[in-house]
Amino acid sequence: MSRVVVVKGTNSLSQGKELNMKTLTRMYEQGFSVLTGQKKNEDSLSYIFPEKIKVGIKINTIGGKNISTRPEAALCLANLLTQSHIREENIIIWDRTNRELKSAGFQLNLNRGGIRIFGTDTQSIGYNHTLVSHLNVGSLFSSIQSDHTSASISLAILKDHGLAGVTGGMKNYFGAIHNPNKYHDTNCNPYVAEVFDTDLIKKKHKLTILDATVVQYHRGPSYHAKWSEVLGTLIFSFDPVAADYVGWKTIEKLRAKKGLPSLKEEDREPQYLKTAEDMGLGNANQGRIDVIEVDV
Amino acid sequence: MDIYAFSEEANLSKVEARFYKKYPDREIECILCPRFCKLGDKERGYCGVRENIGGTYYTLVYGKACAIHIDPIEKKPLFHFLPSSSALSLAAAGCNVNCKFCQNWEISQVRPEQIRHLDFPPESVAQVAEKNQCPVVAYTYSEPVVFYEYMYDASLEGRKKGIKNVVITGGHVNPEPLVELMKVVDAIKVDLKAFNQDFYTQYVRGELQPVLEAIKIIAQSKVWLEIVYLVIPTLNDTPEEIRRLSQWILKEIGPEVPIHFSRFHPMYLMKNLPPTPVSTLEQVHQVAVKEGLRYVYIGNVAGHKYENTFCPNCKNIVIKRTVYQIQRIEIEDGKCKFCGNQIPGIWA
Repeated sequence: MSRVVVVKGTNSLSQGKELNMKTLTRMYEQGFSVLTGQKKNEDSLSYIFPEKIKVGIKINTIGGKNISTRPEAALCLANLLTQSHIREENIIIWDRTNRELKSAGFQLNLNRGGIRIFGTDTQSIGYNHTLVSHLNVGSLFSSIQSDHTSASISLAILKDHGLAGVTGGMKNYFGAIHNPNKYHDTNCNPYVAEVFDTDLIKKKHKLTILDATVVQYHRGPSYHAKWSEVLGTLIFSFDPVAADYVGWKTIEKLRAKKGLPSLKEEDREPQYLKTAEDMGLGNANQGRIDVIEVDV
Repeated sequence: MDIYAFSEEANLSKVEARFYKKYPDREIECILCPRFCKLGDKERGYCGVRENIGGTYYTLVYGKACAIHIDPIEKKPLFHFLPSSSALSLAAAGCNVNCKFCQNWEISQVRPEQIRHLDFPPESVAQVAEKNQCPVVAYTYSEPVVFYEYMYDASLEGRKKGIKNVVITGGHVNPEPLVELMKVVDAIKVDLKAFNQDFYTQYVRGELQPVLEAIKIIAQSKVWLEIVYLVIPTLNDTPEEIRRLSQWILKEIGPEVPIHFSRFHPMYLMKNLPPTPVSTLEQVHQVAVKEGLRYVYIGNVAGHKYENTFCPNCKNIVIKRTVYQIQRIEIEDGKCKFCGNQIPGIWA
């Protein structure tokens, strides 16, 4: 069984749609605690990251300010990590480009001190020179993923995707390769699963957290106010497939509530989750996922 | 080109693309190539160089050349088009397929912000060609279809100066833009990757039928056409496949289109196969000639006798080549000097 913890933060969003940091911190603490079975936050984090590591927090900022991983969500997570044995200079919050990070509201920090925030396109970062060939994938990987971090958290925005069906924690790693545009055919299947299955992702990935504070449930991945819903939720799992599966079902529920056809009816069900399950990457089956809901 | 060097603020173009449809909710559909990418706001097409920004589709590589060289026209290869002329050859980033054996993947399989490029607007292309005494500009190396607007406008500028334009393409393009393009270019070389859809699906990530349609459209026009077929050991090299290909060419285009069977070298994502044996290329050549094709060449084998053009009537060599060098030309007014047989091509 895979455990997925869905933490709903009452009042997590303030009037101006800024995340309430106090609530957010409690949401993370609860999420970690229920996921790991540890009571104290530092014990939870030691459970997840038992060794000295350099952590990459891979976020998704392609959607601009309205529908990207929120800066508050990323910074709150990073700050919590520093309360364990992880030093702040060993944490990188990152995505493809500095332009996208800035447009999503992130303030870059390229310096050695403090939690660093930058894109792969930063001078002297770039892509690792080794072309990775794995199944149907042939890509260069961001050197942040390959060289500058030893463990990875996918902190992805949860949203509808016109081609993939759903974009969540696994597809977030498309932002770690140089040629994601080559992997959107056939509903991104099997490519999402196969990119995740590369050693550079699979062996480093430790945790999926879906930012479902505001969810785009239709016409994604770009932002459309009329098809977005404030959920105030974070979804946690060690199982990358199960986390995305629960994210998918969350989107389906919203679509049904709004009278929209299911993704299957629109011929864009995220089949890559089944592929990922078949590849042994996790569970994409309701019967093998234990969903625990927590209110904060 | 250095794929690993970046500029944080990429100097990309923002010129509205041609050949796309607008839909509600800032969505668009690209109709330039057979992929028909349907894209939401902020998304790029498969090519990686055309982006939907707020419901308008833009080319990001207009006037952004990532490779510029002066090559002999024989290198394209175009063997029946202004022999021994120099071609100012240029590329912008991107491609609309993803061949596992791509020779230029470091510019074709990347996004434009991932490589260095020069600002080289259409009017400069024509000026530089003229200054360097290049009677030809070649759009090549990556896939020119994805930098269509740049190629088109540079071709127009070239025409004003009497410069000829040639396109080196995979032919993965829709009829309407192709027909439009043919109004401003003089020759097109199509890389036909195989003659079966399975190969296109597995190793090219594209469709064979639109390429065949494109070849037919070009052949029916005044634009000069040559075809290259990269022979890859065990994947597209059977006599049967070459026979079917030759029969198709004979039926749909006629026997006079030059076809080049080129030698494969391990590259990009296909390093597990050896280079094509010369004996395979010779066998393939024999099959095509036997089926009735008249101008069949072997490529990427330096000094091979089938680098030469033979008169199909008297069997004499009418163009003697060594690699990309022309040794002698025995064609006058488009005819074989030995027997007077017409040799198809653009000779002056």
